[in-house]
Amino acid sequence: MKNISVDIAVIGGGPAGLAAALEAKEQGAGRVLLLERDGDLGGILQQCIHDGFGLHRFGARLSGTEYAQRYADMVRATDIEIKLDTMVIELTKDRVIYAMNPTDGMMRIECGAVVLAMGCRERTASQVFLYGFRPAGVLTAGSVQRYINMEGYLPGKTAVILGSGDIGLIMARRMTLEGITVKGVYEAAPHLGGLMRNKVQCLDDYNIPLHVGMSVVRVHGKKRVEGVTVAKVGPDFRAIPGTEEFIPCDLLVLAVGLIPENELSRGAQVEMDNKTRGPVLDNNFMTSVPGIFAAGNVAVVFDLVDYVSASGAAAARGAVRFLKGELGGACEYRPVTAGENVNFVVPQRVRTDAEGPTSFYLRVRQPLKKVRLVCEEEGKEIASVRATHAAPPEMMSFEAKLSGGALTVSVTEV
Amino acid sequence: MLEKTVNEMLAKTFPDEKVTATVDERRIVHLAGECSTYQTLIDVGHAVAHVEGVRNVVSDMTARGVVMKKKDYTPFVEAGEKKGVVEECDVLIVGAGIIGCGIAREIAKYNLKVLVAEMGDDVSTGCSKANNGCIHHGMAVKPGTLKSEMNRIGNKRYDDWERELHVGMIRPGYLEVVTKMEDLPKVYARFELGLKNKVPGMKILTPEQINEIEPAYEQNGIHPVAALYLPNFGLVETPYVCVALAENAATNGVRFLFNTTVGKVLTEDHKIVGVVTNKGIIKCRYLVNAAGMYADDIAEMAGDRLFTIHNRRGTIAIFDKATPPTFHIPTAILSGLVKKGKNVESKGGGMHPTPENNLLIGPSAEEVPDKEDTETYEWGVDYCMECCFQDPLLHKGDIIKIFAGARPADFMEDFTIEMSDVTDGLVHACCTQSPGVASSPGVADRTVGIIVDDLLKKGEDVHVKPDYNPYREKPVEFRHMTREEQDALIAKDPRYGRIVCRCEQVTEGEILDVLHSPVVPHSITAIKNRTRAGMGRCQGGFCQPRVLEIIARELGEDWIKVNLNGEGSNILVSANREEGDEQ
Repeated sequence: MKNISVDIAVIGGGPAGLAAALEAKEQGAGRVLLLERDGDLGGILQQCIHDGFGLHRFGARLSGTEYAQRYADMVRATDIEIKLDTMVIELTKDRVIYAMNPTDGMMRIECGAVVLAMGCRERTASQVFLYGFRPAGVLTAGSVQRYINMEGYLPGKTAVILGSGDIGLIMARRMTLEGITVKGVYEAAPHLGGLMRNKVQCLDDYNIPLHVGMSVVRVHGKKRVEGVTVAKVGPDFRAIPGTEEFIPCDLLVLAVGLIPENELSRGAQVEMDNKTRGPVLDNNFMTSVPGIFAAGNVAVVFDLVDYVSASGAAAARGAVRFLKGELGGACEYRPVTAGENVNFVVPQRVRTDAEGPTSFYLRVRQPLKKVRLVCEEEGKEIASVRATHAAPPEMMSFEAKLSGGALTVSVTEV
Repeated sequence: MLEKTVNEMLAKTFPDEKVTATVDERRIVHLAGECSTYQTLIDVGHAVAHVEGVRNVVSDMTARGVVMKKKDYTPFVEAGEKKGVVEECDVLIVGAGIIGCGIAREIAKYNLKVLVAEMGDDVSTGCSKANNGCIHHGMAVKPGTLKSEMNRIGNKRYDDWERELHVGMIRPGYLEVVTKMEDLPKVYARFELGLKNKVPGMKILTPEQINEIEPAYEQNGIHPVAALYLPNFGLVETPYVCVALAENAATNGVRFLFNTTVGKVLTEDHKIVGVVTNKGIIKCRYLVNAAGMYADDIAEMAGDRLFTIHNRRGTIAIFDKATPPTFHIPTAILSGLVKKGKNVESKGGGMHPTPENNLLIGPSAEEVPDKEDTETYEWGVDYCMECCFQDPLLHKGDIIKIFAGARPADFMEDFTIEMSDVTDGLVHACCTQSPGVASSPGVADRTVGIIVDDLLKKGEDVHVKPDYNPYREKPVEFRHMTREEQDALIAKDPRYGRIVCRCEQVTEGEILDVLHSPVVPHSITAIKNRTRAGMGRCQGGFCQPRVLEIIARELGEDWIKVNLNGEGSNILVSANREEGDEQ
C-alpha cells in the first residue's frame, strides 16, 4: 500500500474543494492534494449547463460548466496535486485518509489538515414516503440532468416534477427545451422551494404550472411509470381526502431536497448538527475534530455556488492556520445562536480567541418582507444587513468582525 | 358426506355469504360464489381448509366490488405454437425463484437435461425478490405439517449451501424474551413447541446469560427475566441465494430461459410431454411446478387443479446503515407486545439486521386479490414500525427503501411437494409461503428425490454425473476485504480500483465479474441483486447511469434498451433532440 504524506488534503473536486485547494495554495500551504472520485473536476457543476453562476464571485453570468472550468484552470496552473477517479473510503480522526484508484491502488495518506468538500446527494422516493409501485421512470432531478446533459438521452416523454427546489425548476425548463412535456411542478410546502428568479425564468416563461401545497401521493405502473396521483396536502404533508387527481405521465422527477454526504465525517467522529445535517463548525470552518475542516454542501446545503466557493476558501484559510499551529491547544467555544426567525446559522460556534472578519450563512424560518438582520455579540450589535425580503430557500450571508463572544443572529421585519 | 359437512359449516359460520362447496373424489373442495369482502373470501377458504378430511381447497369465489384478475395466457400460447418445438429436455422447472433455483441446483448433479423457464428477466423476480430473508428456526410452525419438516431440514441444509456456494448466510440466532415473571410460562410454551418441531440447540437463558450474548437489552433499559434462545436462526438476502444456486446449476449444465412464460401444458394419456411458452414449445418428461404465485395456474394447465394461491403481501422497510440494528441477535419481546390486526397465518413483523447489517423492519401480512400487487401503502410501513421494539433511535426518516413482496399462500397454509396423482410427470413444489426461504433446501431435496425415485422405479439409469461440481467460487466482495487485500487486488486488476456504487463500495471489477458469470444479468436490478450496486442510501442516484453504461458496453446493447427489471421497464426512452429538430 502506498504511503503518502501531505500538508492539506481536500476531499472532493467540486466548487468547494476547488476553491479550498486554490486558497490553501495561495495562503502558502506546501503539499496540497485534491482527491476527486469522478473522472474530471467540477463536481455536479459538470452537468449544470444553465447559466446564473458566478455573479458574486466573477461578476459574470456563467454556466456551471464555465464556472467550474475557471476554477479548474486556476487550480491546474498551480502545483496542487490532483488525483481523479480517486475514491476516499475512510477518514480517521487522526487525519489519515484511505483512498483508492485504478493506478495507485489503495493509498494511506497522512494529512496535516483535511478539508471535507464531498457535497451532497439527493433525497430518494422512499425518503419522502412515496408509496405505490416502484417502476422505471422515477428519477431524481440530478439523475435526469446527468442523463440529458452529459449522456445525451431522455428518460421520458411526459414528466411531473415533485419539489420546487432550484434543481426541480431548472429541470422543468431543461426538459421542456428537449421536447419533454412537463405537466407541472408540485410542492408539498405552502411556498416555493427554490429561488424566485428560477421560478420566473424556468416555469413562468414556459407556462409550466406550479402547484404549492400539493404533492405526489402515489406512483402508478408496474414496469414503467404510467401516472401519478397528486393531492392537496395539509400542514402535516398528508393527502387531504377527496383532493386526489390522477395525472398520466411516464416520468416522475424528484427534486425533494439534498442531504450533505457526511459518511466520511461520521467515520472520523466529527460532531454533527441535526439542523444542517453537516458538521458543527467554528469560525475557522473547523469541525469538532482538530485539523478537519468542512466547506460547501457537505457543511450545509447552499443555494449559490458563489457561497460554496467562499466557504471553501474560508475553510482553507482555517486549515493553513491550523498547520501554522495557530489553532492548536485547548480552546473554548461560544455558541452562535439562531435568534428570532432564524432557522440556523453556520458556523455554529466561535472560538473565544476569534478575531477579525468572518462570514456567516443562515436561513430564515418563513418568508418575511423588508427585513433587518442583526448579529449581536454578547448583546452588542456587531453587524447588520437590510434586505427587501427574506425567504427560507434564499440563504442570507453577512460578515462580522469577531472578538470571541457568544453571538445571536436574528432577522426581523422592519 | 364431506361435501355436506363443508356446506353445513359454511351455512353456520358464514350465513350471509352466498358460497357453495362441491367436493371431488380426491377430497378437494371447490368453492364458488360471491363473498361480501375479499377478507371474507380468505376467511371462508381457511375455514373450509380446516374441516377434517379436506385435502385442499380450490376457489372460484369472487368478492363484491373486487376485480379478481385471471392471467390471460392466450398471447403466449399463440406466439409459442407458431414457433413450434424449440427445446427438448428431461426436466423442465417452471419458475426461477428460490424454490426453482434450489431444485435446479440439486437436480443438476444427475445425468439429466434440465431447463428452467422463468417469466421474469432474471432469477428471483417474483416472491423471492422481496422478503426478509429469514432462515427461520422452525420453532413457531404448526407441528406435524410438511412446513415444519421442510423448515427443519432446510434450516440445517443451509450450512451446506453456504459452504459449497457462498450464498451469504449468517446465523445470528434468535431470542424470544420476557420481561415479567408472570410471562415465564410463555417461554416454556415456546420451548415445548420447539421440541415438537424438533428444533435443535434451543436453550432457556437467565438474565445474565442473555446479557452476555446480547447486551443491547440492558443498554436500552429492557430487563429480561428469561429468554428462549434459538441458535439456528439465520439470515440471507434471498435474491442473492437464488443467484448462487442458479450459477452453480448453470455450471453443471442447467440452462435458464428468461422472459419465458408457460401458457399451456401438453399431456398425452395423462402424462406430461411438454409445454407451450411464448418462446416456443419445450418438450419434457417431467414438469416441476415451482411457479410460486402462479403455481395454481400451472397445476390447472396440467389438469391437476389442486389448490388456489392467494397473495399475502408483505411491506418491508430498510434503514440507512448509519442507523444500525439495535439488536445484533434478532429479537421478539413476548411481554406486553401488542400487534394490531396481526395475520394469524403468517408470522410477519419484526426487526432484524440483514446479512450486510442494514436494519430491516417488517414484513406486514396483507391479503390482496391481485397476484402482482406489490404496492406499498403508508399503513404497511406503520404496521412494521409498530411491530418493532420502540427504539427511541428508530426514525422513519432513516428509511432508505420501502418495498413490498408477495407470499404465495394456499388455503391449507402448508406446502405442497408431491408427484401429481392425476398427471404423471407433474411434480408440485409450491404453496411455499413463509417459511419458504428457510425451507428451500428441504423442498429442493424432496422434489429431486421424487423425480429420481420415479426414474429408478421406471428402470432408468439415473446417476450423479462424474464431472458434477458442487462448488461455486466466492465472488470478489471488495467491501469486505482488508485495505491490504484491496490494494493487492487493484494491483492485480485495476478494474477493482474504480468504485461505481459509492454507498455500498462496489467496484467496476465486481460488476464486470457478474456480467461474465454463468447466469448473465441484463438489467439494473439484476446487477443490484448480485453486487449491491444501488442498494445503498442514495438508491442508485449516483451509480445508475454508470451501471447502465457498463451493461450497454459489456453486452453490446443500445443505452435505450437497458432496463430496470425486464421488458417494458426501460430507463431511457430516446436520444436527445438533434440540433435543428423542431421543438
